[in-house]
Amino acid sequence: MSVTSDAVAAEARSRAEGAASPEGGAGSPWQPKILAFCCNWCTYAGADLAGLNRMNYPADIRLLRVPCSGRVNPQHVLRALQDGCDGVLVCGCHPGDCHYVSGNYYAKRRMMVFKRLLEYSGLRPGRFQVRWISGSEAGKFRDTVVSVTEQISQMGPMASDAPSLEALAGADALLEAARGAGDAR
Amino acid sequence: MTANLTQQIRDRARDLLQSGTVSCFIAWEPARFEHWRTPVTIESPDEVDRIVVDEWCDQLIAKYALQRRGDGRIGMVARGCESRAVERLVADRQVSRQDVYLVGVGCTGMLDRDGGAPLKKCEECQRRNPVTYDEMVGETVEEPRPYRFGEVDRIESMEPEQRRAFFDRMFSQCAMCFACRNVCPACNCRSCFADAERVGWLEKDFGLDASRYWGLMRAFHTGDRCIECGECERACPMGLPLMTLMHKQVRDIDRLFGPYEGGGLSDAGPDPLRSYRTDDVEEFM
Repeated sequence: MSVTSDAVAAEARSRAEGAASPEGGAGSPWQPKILAFCCNWCTYAGADLAGLNRMNYPADIRLLRVPCSGRVNPQHVLRALQDGCDGVLVCGCHPGDCHYVSGNYYAKRRMMVFKRLLEYSGLRPGRFQVRWISGSEAGKFRDTVVSVTEQISQMGPMASDAPSLEALAGADALLEAARGAGDAR
Repeated sequence: MTANLTQQIRDRARDLLQSGTVSCFIAWEPARFEHWRTPVTIESPDEVDRIVVDEWCDQLIAKYALQRRGDGRIGMVARGCESRAVERLVADRQVSRQDVYLVGVGCTGMLDRDGGAPLKKCEECQRRNPVTYDEMVGETVEEPRPYRFGEVDRIESMEPEQRRAFFDRMFSQCAMCFACRNVCPACNCRSCFADAERVGWLEKDFGLDASRYWGLMRAFHTGDRCIECGECERACPMGLPLMTLMHKQVRDIDRLFGPYEGGGLSDAGPDPLRSYRTDDVEEFM
């Protein structure tokens, strides 16, 4: 994402017309970049098991091992989306199975509110997802990665979500209305 | 607010300071122009005549208690918002309740110093009477409890692209002055992520990404503790409708983990995002 929304919109238009992503090199088709935060005790083991079982899943996902889903600061999620990821997946143990007893319960509440806040502020639903995947659920891990990658691929790059110039122009009137009586005081 | 409220508060402040019940008394005094009021900390009984309490006292004074920590008991005028802010500071272990002496007043809303229109934050107020106080001056007032989610309803009914455009325009006007943080009674961390020296949290670039990051993360950090005083919005020099982010979270928390009416209420229990129940609603399986 770039500095101004206009620049982002222009970028999005050029990508929508089929231009290659700048990172992808000349001519290569756009590939989604998805960051998956995986808890060390469950999902990372589940991913390991998927590998041991020779399961195939798209290589568009990057695993980032964290001690616990409770370790994932919502700031990490937003920063990842701003810094070039097209989707973010946060995975942890099933509720009740946390290695640290309660980390995923905190993560659950936090991510439920944060996800709604992001989507309220304009993130397209599906860009940020949370799943509980245990160490034995290699198949669920594969299925989750396949489905998330498919969804993100269909949505296109993050930059394509930038609002159109018409939408931005319409937003100014809405913003003025929202300022209300307490304007600038 | 009754006409002689200023005199009643001055009398109480004088008594409290003279008797040694409090070491200082926080209220408002007239500022440079007509209808301008500014917070003041009175330390001597001779100075209480500086105090003014009327419908122009637009600032929330509770956070000034943090500057007087350790100086003995702090006296303070407490409307609904001040009392909730003090409850917030107590819940965040910033002050102890015994260190604050609250002189409660019922409040019927403040007026904009430019033009005299009712302040937006007061029109959305849920608690006009203090939720906690050590003594009450004057009568309690009626609690209209107006509906405060109108703006949230409006934005939620938009398409994602419209919402994105709305917040892009909003955040692109942010001046990154951090006034919203500095007035917020829930923003009481000793060190803020925005001030962290570590590279990568919030850098000094001045663009949409940085201000969106600041705006959303500040809102989320205080989301489950927000007392809905509306000070962020009042203090914002760009006049951005910041409370829409806070109201959104308050209502989500109420619907998901409720009942929840906002932070800083005496019977609110543990903060919703700092506690959990094993039977919380599940949507990530």
